[in-house]
Order: sequence, then structure tokens, then C-alpha cells
Amino acid sequence: MFDKLQQAFWKALTPDLVPDEVKVAADPVAGLSAEIVAALGGVDNLKSQQPVALTRVRVALHDEARVDRQALSVAGVAGVMPLGDGVLHLITGLRAQG
Amino acid sequence: MATPQQLQLLAPLSGVLMALDQVPDPVFAGRIIGDGLCIDPTSSTLCAPLAGVVSDVQASGHALTITSDAGVQVLMHIGLDTVNLAGKGFIRRVEAGQRVAAGQALIDFDADYIALHARSLLTLMLVVSGEPFDSLVGSTGLLEVGQPVLDVGVGVSPGENPAAAQGDAVFSQPINLPNPNGLHARPAAVFAQAAKAFSATIHLHRLQAQANAKSLVAIMALQTAQGDSVQVSAEGDDAEAAVEALTRLLTEGCGEAVTAPAPVEVVAAEMPNILRGVCASPGSALGQVMQIVEATLMVTEFGAEPPVEREALSQALIEADMALQHLRDTASGEAQAEIFRAHQELLADPSLLDQAQALIDEGKSAAFAWQTSTEATAAMFRSLGNALLAERAADLADVGQRVLKLILGVHEQTLELADDTILIADQLTPSQTAGLDTRKVLGFATVGGGATSHVAILARACGLPAICGMPMQMLTLDNGTRVLLDADKGELQLHPDAESIDQLRTRRAQQRQRHQQELAQASEAACTRDGQHIEVTANVASQSETAQAMELGANGVGLLRSEFLYLDRQQAPSHDEQVATYSAIARTIGPAHNLVVRTLDVGGDKPLAYVPMDSESNPFLGLRGIRLCLERPQLLREQFRAILACSALTRLHIMLPMVTHLAELRLARQILEQEAQVLGLTHLPKLGIMIEVPAVALMADVLAPHVDFFSIGTNDLTQYTLAMDRDHPRLASQADSFHPAVLRLIAMTVKAAHVHGKWVGVCGAMASERLAVPLLLGLGVDELSVSVPLIPAIKSAVRELNLADCRIIAEQVSNLESAGDVRDALQRFHEVKVDGSPVMEN
Repeated sequence: MFDKLQQAFWKALTPDLVPDEVKVAADPVAGLSAEIVAALGGVDNLKSQQPVALTRVRVALHDEARVDRQALSVAGVAGVMPLGDGVLHLITGLRAQG
Repeated sequence: MATPQQLQLLAPLSGVLMALDQVPDPVFAGRIIGDGLCIDPTSSTLCAPLAGVVSDVQASGHALTITSDAGVQVLMHIGLDTVNLAGKGFIRRVEAGQRVAAGQALIDFDADYIALHARSLLTLMLVVSGEPFDSLVGSTGLLEVGQPVLDVGVGVSPGENPAAAQGDAVFSQPINLPNPNGLHARPAAVFAQAAKAFSATIHLHRLQAQANAKSLVAIMALQTAQGDSVQVSAEGDDAEAAVEALTRLLTEGCGEAVTAPAPVEVVAAEMPNILRGVCASPGSALGQVMQIVEATLMVTEFGAEPPVEREALSQALIEADMALQHLRDTASGEAQAEIFRAHQELLADPSLLDQAQALIDEGKSAAFAWQTSTEATAAMFRSLGNALLAERAADLADVGQRVLKLILGVHEQTLELADDTILIADQLTPSQTAGLDTRKVLGFATVGGGATSHVAILARACGLPAICGMPMQMLTLDNGTRVLLDADKGELQLHPDAESIDQLRTRRAQQRQRHQQELAQASEAACTRDGQHIEVTANVASQSETAQAMELGANGVGLLRSEFLYLDRQQAPSHDEQVATYSAIARTIGPAHNLVVRTLDVGGDKPLAYVPMDSESNPFLGLRGIRLCLERPQLLREQFRAILACSALTRLHIMLPMVTHLAELRLARQILEQEAQVLGLTHLPKLGIMIEVPAVALMADVLAPHVDFFSIGTNDLTQYTLAMDRDHPRLASQADSFHPAVLRLIAMTVKAAHVHGKWVGVCGAMASERLAVPLLLGLGVDELSVSVPLIPAIKSAVRELNLADCRIIAEQVSNLESAGDVRDALQRFHEVKVDGSPVMEN
């Protein structure tokens, strides 16, 4: 009897004690145009990417030296802000809100 | 008009230009603050676009204004909604008042941090002084920091009409700012914009500071914060209209969405279905909303001849006194009558009258003089950091308002209440509640107030449920909205469905039934299902309470608050009086049970007339409890002597409050032993200490060999551990004894005591909470000392539990991260273990 109750009790408690940390395995390329990806040195050079702050895409690269600024500009990236450790903000303009 | 000169503004950052119209923020896009440009930065140091003086740096470091010698004011605002970062990610490199050169670095910011934590990095540079300018760059494209971007025409200031009429300033009522970050750039701009629509000279006041209400920069320089009390004053033709409109605007949040009631749909969408606060009086009720709003009174500063104004004031005071006497005579209970008696005393306070008279003699109106003196005194009460005096400030505000209405001839409107009303208010004053038909009121919910507020006292006296500390947005609920007030859970549920209502009804019926059952079994022992006996004792402060407690099945008294012998009198109680009182209580308890007498626990927060004390800036950290008694050992000596006189009548225990050091215990024991020797006692009573100061919980293993028992005062232990005043209107809901930090201190204390074979009780409010019972038992607590009416309920709660289960849950919850998580876990435990039907979720 005790075991049964204890089990029920554990089950009831679990949601609190074990926070579900489902890491979304983000597709590193999703949302970036092929031209931008190429200008960043290709898929292999891209560690992660994340749209941030309404107008930016935050990318983490393996090798910053492989970035082609000219090609980025041609691909529609209005500005680039290097932040060290291979992290760049690409200013791509306002995204549709909602 | 002066000859226009040109001033070139330099780009404050490198980055990508964005047209102002496109900025996703209506205040900036609508140029409400001013016109200028927007840059999406690629550099991370904001530089001065012009030479001048830094006239305002927001404390949070995300915005700054520079004023040139010619008066051009340029505001720079980094990011959108970055005020919410509260300074994180920004490093200021200049101070307000500092002169800077064009191009000088002003603020460094961490662009990556801001991009990840705020809405946007879009940075605004706006000419807030309103001069026209020509753009030297397009509306898009790349900018380099330092590049000239705007040509501003200097000396073409649109200015305001300086010919404001000379007249009496009209003052608004004090307004508590609802904006979460005070009047920062956006709401300040909305406010200044609205003020500009009036020709009157308008000022915004905060404490002694005042700002030109038409100047955005001046308003921001007031550095207001949420909850600050501000006032609007206006002088000129449309002064009254201005004060009225601006007061409304401030109350509504100056366009900030959180509290703006204007776009009703938005508010409805944002309003969660359940609003949460803290329980001020238990119970539950289903009813409809009735908002109680204090009318805004218009007060003119200057009056007629002083004798006329003085007469007006004294007439109003007499009328107010009569009205209060009537309220006293017709009050529904003792508690309420007491409150109005206190109000009458306040009205007769000479210092209040002196202040008002002095102002009238200076030519002020009676209303202005009275308002100023009551508010100044109330502010002083509040500033002393003392809960009791802060309560008096609320009384003073209430009685001040009563007199003010009489002076101004504003009639109290009696509220027409529907049946089943749930009263909603920012703060309910005794005057507001006095005339209410309590038969129609089913409960209260207020934004302000804590467990000691009047609404709590009143609600408990009437046996009605009440919750305090509710979110501001509750005040936007429409009258008549159906709500379910569940004070036990601290919740107000909007538009409850049939199911919730049914649940409430069932629960009420169950509660009634359970209560009867508990009463019937009150005299039986409190043993857990697995056979552990728990002492359930009472917290009392008089002989009659003791008798009641024993009748309800108490296993003795776990806390006798001996202060009742000392408070509200001009001289210390005599030895005989003390002996008679202690002996009567001891006889009521008898030799089979414990009587734990706590020695005098007073201090700067509850001073005694005959124990003069210097006022302390922070009485809760001052000479309280044993500290005061050791400072005046004669007081303690006399008390010990009186307590010892009843040692043959019961199992006598003496408990010392607020002990911090072992030395205090040693000194007290020495005095006790000396007194026992004088009386020729061979058998000493048990001596223990209260665990209220975190230091003694942490040192419990060192103290345990020297005491006979510990009793944990959870209220003070919580307030000292979390550094939160439990009566603080905004912190009360967080100052929760269920915080894991407090639980760990309790666990430490118990462990140390048991190693040395000593017992541990809990006499704080936590012991009287049903939800805490499994937790405290699981932590190993041996005795629960609870408030008298709850003895049967707590005993019955003990009988429902298995100690083994309690130990598991106690260990689990001590590792959670917040009091809220602990409560949730205990609630689940209760549902699974006690209510029988295991909830198999998911």
C-alpha cells in the first residue's frame, strides 16, 4: 500500500522536480538564404544561428576569417557587427512581428 | 526671433539607418518625444553627437540627454524597452552635470547581451527641444560614428507661452505611479506632450523636487520609480482642467500598456484568468466585482482671510469628530470601533493642528493647509520604517480625507451595493468600509495592505475572506464581473465556470463537515498514522485565551506572550500582579502540560512608555527582545522572579526571544539561577531560546548543549533570512516561511537539537498552516504551537499523516528553488496523501 501511494506521490511531484529541458536541435541554416550562408563560409562554418532583437540574426561561426563581407552585403545584409569569439550580428532589417 | 545658426549633430554610433516612421514603437515613430533619427548599431560605444552638458542620465544607463549651450537638447535612447534591463549591459562613462565634447564616449553597451535580453537594439537620437533640422544623410544606408548627420537650426525654439497667468496653483491628490519603471522616456514623453496642450504653468512634484511638466528631460530627471507618490500642480487659466487631465493620465500609466484602461480589448486579452495575492482572512466566496475608488479632490492653494479659513477648518474638524463618534457607536464590532476611536484621537493631535494653523496664517486655504499637514505627518510616519507607525499613516490619510471632504463640501456617496459583492480597491480605508452593508459584502481583494492592514482586521472580524497584495490590473476589472474569491489559495478567479463554482460549493460543505469532525475529536491525542505523538500547544496572551485553548484540546501552551502584561500602561506591572497572572494561567494548564513563557519581547518597534528608549533608525535590527532585557536586567530579574513563583503549578518553561549569541543565554541563565536561589527553589524550570535570528539557527549545534529546548519563531526567522518585511505592501507575498532557505535553517536546528536530546517547537504562524504540518513533522519538529482556534484543525492534520511520508516530502521540497514551488509540491502531496484519491497525472 505504502509503495503504491509513494509511486503516485512521486508521479505527482515529478513535473516540479524534473524540469523538462527539451533542447530544440536547431537547424543551423533555417531562415538564412543560401547566399548569406555561402557568404558566411558555408554550412560547415556555421555553429548556430538565432534571430534576435527584431532586426538581427546572431550567428556563431567556427572561423570568422571565412566571412565575405562584400558577398553578405550583396545578399541583402545591411550591416555586420562582429562581437568576438566567432559571434556576429547580421542586420537584416525588421522582421514581420507577431 | 534670433538669427538662426546651424549646429551639426554627429552620428553617435556606427550602424544602419532606419526611418523613424518604421521604428516599431508608437511613441518614437509618432515623434512624441521629438524628431531625429534611428540607428541599428554596429558599434557598441555611444558617443556625444554635440558638445554640451549631460543633463540627465537614467539610472539604468540606457538613455541620456545632452544640452548644448544654445539650449538644444538631444536625447539618446539605446534599444527598445531596454529600461527593463535595469542597467544590465550598460556602462555609463559620464555623470549628470558633466560637460562633454562632441564625439566623446558616453555609454558602453554589451550589444550581444542586449540583443539577447531586450526587444531591440534600435537606438534613437532625438532633438527633444524641438528645433527644426535638415538631414545630411538619407533615410537608409550605413553611418560611421562621428559623421555629421543633422543640421539643427539654433534659436528657432518653438518655446512655450511664457505669459502664464499669475494665480493660485491648483494641486492634485498624490498619485502613486503605476508604471513598472517609473516615468522613463516613453511615459514621460506622453505626459509632457499632454501637458503642452495646456496654457497653464504645470509642475510635477515628487517629494521636495519639482519638474516642469512640459519638459521631457525635467520629468525624467525626477528619476521616479513605481509606486512613487507624485503630485501635479498647475497655475493659469486652464489649471483645473490640466490637473484633472494629467492626474487621469498618470493614474492610467501614461500610455504604458500594463495599466492603460483605454484599449479595453487589449486589457481584457492581457488579464489572466486568475489573479494572485496573499491571504489576509481565510475562506472563499463567489460574487461580483465592485470597485471602490477614492474621489480626486481639487484643492486650491491660497485661501480667504486667515480667520475665515481657520473657522472653516475647525468647523470641519467638529463635524468629522461627530461623524466618527456616530461610526463608533454604530460599529459592527469592537475592532472597528477601536479604529474610529483612534481616528478621533488623531483629529485632536495638537501638532497636526499647529502645522495647519501656521499654513493658514501664511495665507493658505484651510483645505490646502490641512492636506499639507496630514500628508507631511503621514509621510513622516511612513519614513520611520516601522510597521505600526506605517499603519497609522494609513489612518491619518483616511481621517485627513474625511476632513478635507467636509472643508470642500464634497458629500460622501453611499455605495449602492448589489447582493453578493466582492469589494475591490487599491487600499480600503476604515471610512470606506464603515458605511458598507456587510450583509451584502462577501469578501475583499486589495492591491495594498498586508496581514495587519485594516481590511484584514475588518475581514477577520466579520469572518469574510480577503486577499491583499493583488496586482494593479485588478483595478481595471469592470463592476459586476463574476469572480470567485479563494482566499485560502490567495486567488481571485475571473468569470468562473460552473465546474469551479461546484467545486467551491462542495469544498465549503466538506470544510463545514470537517470542522465539526475536528471539534468532536479535539481532545484526542495528535498521533500520526504510524504512531508518532506530536504535541499541539497554543499561542496565547491571556488567561481567558489559555482556558479556551485547553478546552479545544491544546497540550499546554507553547508560547505565552508576556508582553500583554506590559503594554498599554504607564508603569511596569507590580510583582504581585505578575505573580497572580502567571499563576492563574499555570493553574489553567495544570501539572500535566507545558507552559512556555516567553520573556518580554519588546523593542523600538513596540516601545513601552516606562522603558524609555532612544529611537532607532531600524528597530527590527535594534534593541529588541533579550537585547533590551539584558540592557535593563532589573526588568528581566523581576519577570523571572514572578514567573518562578508558579513553578510548582505546571511544567514550567522559560523562553528567551531574539537570542543571537550564546553569551546572552549564559547571562540570562545566571540571573535566573540567582533568582531561583533567592526563592529557595531546588528545581529550576527548563530554559530555552527562540530561533528567530538566522545566526542561531546556523549555530544551533553550538547552542544545543546549553539549552533545554528550541522554539522556532518562523515569522521573524523568515523576515531576517529573506531580508523582507512581512508587512511590506509589495514584499509581503514573497516573505513566505515556505522558502527553502527557511526550511533548511529549520532542518539544521532540529538536527542539532536532536543530537543533544533536546526538543524543538515551532511557534510562528507557519505552525498554524495546515499545508505546513507534513513539512514541519518531516523536518523533525516535536511540537507545534498554534493560534487557539486552529488547534483542532492542526491536531486532525497530524492524524492524517504518516511520518515516513512527511520525511520524504520535507527532504524533497528543501531542494526546490522557491516558496511557491514548495507550496505547489505540498499541495500535490496533500492531494495524493491526504485526500485519499491519488491523482494520477499525465
